[in-house]
Amino acid sequence: MEHVIRATGLTKTFHDTRAVDGVDLTVEAGQRVALLGPNGAGKTTTLFMLLGVIAPDAGHVEIAGLRLPEQRSEAMERVGFAAGYMPLAERLRVREFLDLYGGLYGLADPSERIDVGLERFGIAHLANVMGNELSSGQRTLVGIIKATLHRPRLLVLDEPTASLDPDVAQRVRQGLLDLCEVEGTTLLVTSHNMVEVARLCDRVVFMSAGRIVADGSPAEVADLFGQEDLEDVFLHLAGNARDAARTQETDHA
Amino acid sequence: MSWLRVRSIAKRHAYVLRRSPHRLYDITIWPVVDVLLFGSLGVFLSETEGGEAAAYGYLLGGIVLWHVVYQSQIALSTGFLEETWSRNLLNLMVTPLKELEYAAGVALFGLVKLALGVGLVALGALGFFAFDVTDVGVGLIPIAAVLLAVGWAIALFVIALVLRFGSGAEALAWGILFLVMPLSGVFYPVPALPGAVQPIAKLLPTTHAFAAMRSLLDGEGLAWDELGIAAAGVLVLALGATIFLAKMLSLFRTRGYITRYS
Repeated sequence: MEHVIRATGLTKTFHDTRAVDGVDLTVEAGQRVALLGPNGAGKTTTLFMLLGVIAPDAGHVEIAGLRLPEQRSEAMERVGFAAGYMPLAERLRVREFLDLYGGLYGLADPSERIDVGLERFGIAHLANVMGNELSSGQRTLVGIIKATLHRPRLLVLDEPTASLDPDVAQRVRQGLLDLCEVEGTTLLVTSHNMVEVARLCDRVVFMSAGRIVADGSPAEVADLFGQEDLEDVFLHLAGNARDAARTQETDHA
Repeated sequence: MSWLRVRSIAKRHAYVLRRSPHRLYDITIWPVVDVLLFGSLGVFLSETEGGEAAAYGYLLGGIVLWHVVYQSQIALSTGFLEETWSRNLLNLMVTPLKELEYAAGVALFGLVKLALGVGLVALGALGFFAFDVTDVGVGLIPIAAVLLAVGWAIALFVIALVLRFGSGAEALAWGILFLVMPLSGVFYPVPALPGAVQPIAKLLPTTHAFAAMRSLLDGEGLAWDELGIAAAGVLVLALGATIFLAKMLSLFRTRGYITRYS
């Protein structure tokens, strides 16, 4: 199986806080992987290191066999990234924004890909609307279309449905499943919505306090912790993280 | 280097300018204000008893060429600031875009702004004060090229400082030019400056470029020695700015400063 992500020993410390602590992560082509964990578990820092936006203190990252940071530009030609918190560039219409990013991803004429994306996520009617007139849900959809214009091998999404109502969230999930099936895209997604994760992903990787504490199918991970489902695993790990933080505070006191 | 990516960045900034009329201030109002201020001062000084007619040419020629530095610097540094204001940095950093392609794209569109801004100053000098900058001769072209490179190099320093210190350093985009301008002898030769700051002035490539301009205005031809020093100085400045920017970008990635803009 071909490795789309191969990260070894990723470590990152901010001031005195070890945000990511020796993460090893391998994702194979075609997998749909959820990176889960409570707030502060190190998910976004891990994603940013995989994307070359943050440099790790230790460890290595390869995307589709291309080493970061040396081959970052070539690697990013194969990656798309979107996040619920990322705004659209201001003063651009949706089509202009997508056209701009199509150019950055090397598409001489991205019109057809823009139309496919807008149709796939059901927002073709917004093509000529100004970015600052969109709702946060609509902005998220445009961000995902932007990230998929160039048919990336790997699509990385950080909390893509955080600000969406259930109807739009369902459209996003369906669009992503369609994309993965039709174009064979590998998916790496973070989310706090465990129901969504169970529907969308075939593998879950749980992080806690900067480390990977579980890795497997949703059912395997639930079994590992003796819990009913991913929601219970999440609550269990979040509770542990809180207890650990309290103990640390008491020790310091 | 991908031309497609350079073009995309230039296009993005063209959209921004088209949809933000207030950003036209730098290339419309400011040039007119400058040419009125320095042109009127030049007329006043040259008509005052004991005043020198040369002051008129020095002031108007100086302000036309100063706008080459100003417009190129402002276009590149505010182009980058636009990405921070619209929180677009993360969007760009996760694409294949290389740093050089980004700078080339912003600088490319900056040339359009520069042509508009400097063109307006030159037209104002001609229309208001009958000062035709083209009469100075083709020698102005290499001088303008040196000043263009100075503007870009200063912008790289500003961008590096914004990467390191965040939005607090934004004021430098405009403020740094107020420091460089008096020290560069834009309107007067270096001996007119207080003795204590003259050694600093002589280190600036702009000082030698403006000295070369005055030589042209005085009808003495292009001062190649001054132009050579200015060109060498700008090479050192550009190299220093590039190294500093690379270090600050590396620090930006190491310390995870992207979270300031995401």
